[in-house]
Amino acid sequence: MIWLTWRQHRKQAFFTLLGFAVLAALMVPIGLSMRHSFADLGLAECVRKLNDTNAAAATRDGCDAAFHRFTNRYGSLNLVAVLLLTLPMLVGLFWGAPLVAREVEHGTHRFVWTQGVGRTRWALVKFGLVGAAVVVLAVGYGLGMSWWVDPLTQAAQEGRLGLIVFDLQGVVPIGYTLFAVALGIFAGTVWKRMLPAMGITLAGFIGVRAAVEILARPHYQPARTLTFPIEGAGEPQTERGGWILAQGVRNPDGTMVAEDTRIQCPPGGKGPEGRVCGAELGIEPGAYNWQLYQPADRFWLFQGIETGVFVALALILLYLAVRRVRRIA
Amino acid sequence: MDMVLEADRLGKRYGSTWALRDCSLHVPAGRIAALVGPNGAGKSTLLHLAVGLLKPDAGAVRVFGRSPYGDTEGLADIGFVAQDTPLYRDFTAAELVIAGGRLNRRWDAALARTRLAQLGIPPDRPVGKLSGGQRAQVALALALAKQPRLLLLDEPVASLDPLARPEFLQSLMGSVADSGTTVLLSSHLLADLERVCDYLIVLNAAQVQLAGAVDDLVAGHRQLIGPRHDGGAIGGVAAVVRASHTDRQSTLLVQTDGPITDPAWTVREVSLEDVVLAHLADGATQTSHSEWGVPA
Amino acid sequence: MIEFVLDSRSKVNTYMQLVQQVKQALRVGLLVPGDQLPKVRDVAQSLAINPNTVLKAYRQLEIEGLVGGRPGVGTFVQRTLAGASLPNQAELREDLVAWLHRAQAAGLTAEDVVALVETTLRATLADDAPQKEPA
Repeated sequence: MIWLTWRQHRKQAFFTLLGFAVLAALMVPIGLSMRHSFADLGLAECVRKLNDTNAAAATRDGCDAAFHRFTNRYGSLNLVAVLLLTLPMLVGLFWGAPLVAREVEHGTHRFVWTQGVGRTRWALVKFGLVGAAVVVLAVGYGLGMSWWVDPLTQAAQEGRLGLIVFDLQGVVPIGYTLFAVALGIFAGTVWKRMLPAMGITLAGFIGVRAAVEILARPHYQPARTLTFPIEGAGEPQTERGGWILAQGVRNPDGTMVAEDTRIQCPPGGKGPEGRVCGAELGIEPGAYNWQLYQPADRFWLFQGIETGVFVALALILLYLAVRRVRRIA
Repeated sequence: MDMVLEADRLGKRYGSTWALRDCSLHVPAGRIAALVGPNGAGKSTLLHLAVGLLKPDAGAVRVFGRSPYGDTEGLADIGFVAQDTPLYRDFTAAELVIAGGRLNRRWDAALARTRLAQLGIPPDRPVGKLSGGQRAQVALALALAKQPRLLLLDEPVASLDPLARPEFLQSLMGSVADSGTTVLLSSHLLADLERVCDYLIVLNAAQVQLAGAVDDLVAGHRQLIGPRHDGGAIGGVAAVVRASHTDRQSTLLVQTDGPITDPAWTVREVSLEDVVLAHLADGATQTSHSEWGVPA
Repeated sequence: MIEFVLDSRSKVNTYMQLVQQVKQALRVGLLVPGDQLPKVRDVAQSLAINPNTVLKAYRQLEIEGLVGGRPGVGTFVQRTLAGASLPNQAELREDLVAWLHRAQAAGLTAEDVVALVETTLRATLADDAPQKEPA
């Protein structure tokens, strides 16, 4: 069975590894150059200083400028990062969906399932081996990406919890890849043709990922709120690297005056025509900035929860797929 | 007699349509049984039930006394060649022999290699690049390497060209003579299997129309030609399978249960093909009449 | 060793065709006692027919005492059907060849000859039959 699985998928495995090698050959030099610039601009020092909330305003300004230069040079790489997000899905499309669908489409399931190996065992061995290979791949991808995006995320205000960078690194790629493969396998057992199975995998993966990301992830832990006055000297003491879910300006009674904004006035400052700071928004005296966020130190907790969710989904799908395999003739 | 395969009121449904219904039959050991019927009659369904690919929705099927669905151990005794002889097309014949060895506890790789060598099949070319006839031979060699006690073949010659057909049947008959395996093979054409089988099962519209040893079937049917007949009993006739009438004369194909002595009838022996066609035509007209909503 | 040939258009069933071919071969001296019949496997394979059919034909010949099976070796001819007529056949054949040349000279085609032989044979045998039966 192991020999058969290897013989059947060796070409595919070869091309997958080749793809990864090419990807690594492209990404590693970029990553190295990013790290050089990061070090040359003294950003590592900045990050350390800025994490200390009592950093001097001068340091802040200097660092911000440096961060700006870094982001200007490498910010477009965030687009590349978006492309890399699709990798787990591609693995699901090309490894998961054909696993059963291809056999049924070519009728070879009638050959292999009528040999001396039961089809449940066939399914378990095959899913297991492909799953293991995929996990290895995903670990490599997750570690590689963690290393690669690290400078980008440090330079960004939002940090590792941000929408795209969170999905690229750490252990979540393992969850995503396993889920994509399991979804592909399951779709193959239901639609039994490669193209529909791939289509369903594509749609299902994007749908579930988006749903979890938008609806579930912000609530893995109760979000924290931070309030700070609209008048004050210097930068407000917001946490670096936090994931801001919502922000706005609220009146003293708690009603939201302006969403997705914040006001920063010098003490006693007046706006145009001598109005009180922010008066044009209709705020009352005593209004304050409000922020709902997930703190940066929850990164690994969130990674764990998200991975858990997708691994659990993958296991459910694999279980259903094994059950369905028993009904295909 | 030892029964290799027995079906008892076996049924299989796809949605609301019965692909096979109330199917009761048996295949005795040592026979080469032909499963004949038009396309869509349920032949593949019956074979898939027998090899455990499908689970019965009604009744039961037993192969060597075991229920085949989910029975991995029982699979060792059954060789199966599915329709269109599906094989991994990028595997070479030699690799398929290795694969079979990895997938089966009992596996005669030497037998398979000897057969394939005799047939002149290249061991190192992907089977997808072989001719249909050669691929069918590879599939047969793989099924025989299991040393099965029952060999099931689903439309083995349907997709073969006229030259490859006899070649395939030749090598099948040669190996059956060697091994004494019981064989059940299906075809929508009786002519393909007439010389090969000594037991016949006719399926039509999901049901068994006729089953029995070929010799008994031929001996148990006669064609009667005589004056116009309106359905009265004829001595020695168990059932009229098919009747055609002119205003004065009737031609009947009947099942006999004794000698027909009535001198009014001219009695003729029939061929196996006559018997099968009579039974199939019977079912076909009934179905289409009911489908068209007109009286038969 | 003889080779079996099947007539696919014949209504005679396969096993009878095999029996008849062996008898034919015995009659014309193609097979003589001690000769081996083709192995069941080889016949089944070369004609693509059921081995049981071959077995049945051989069993029929065995029952008639024409052949005998030696387990593990094969089936061998035990008795000939040529009988006393065989030595005469050469001479008769010469007569027949001479007659055929005459027929050809008289303008008969091969088909005419066959028709003539068949009708004459039938008529002659029909005349002989009533006389034979009481004996």
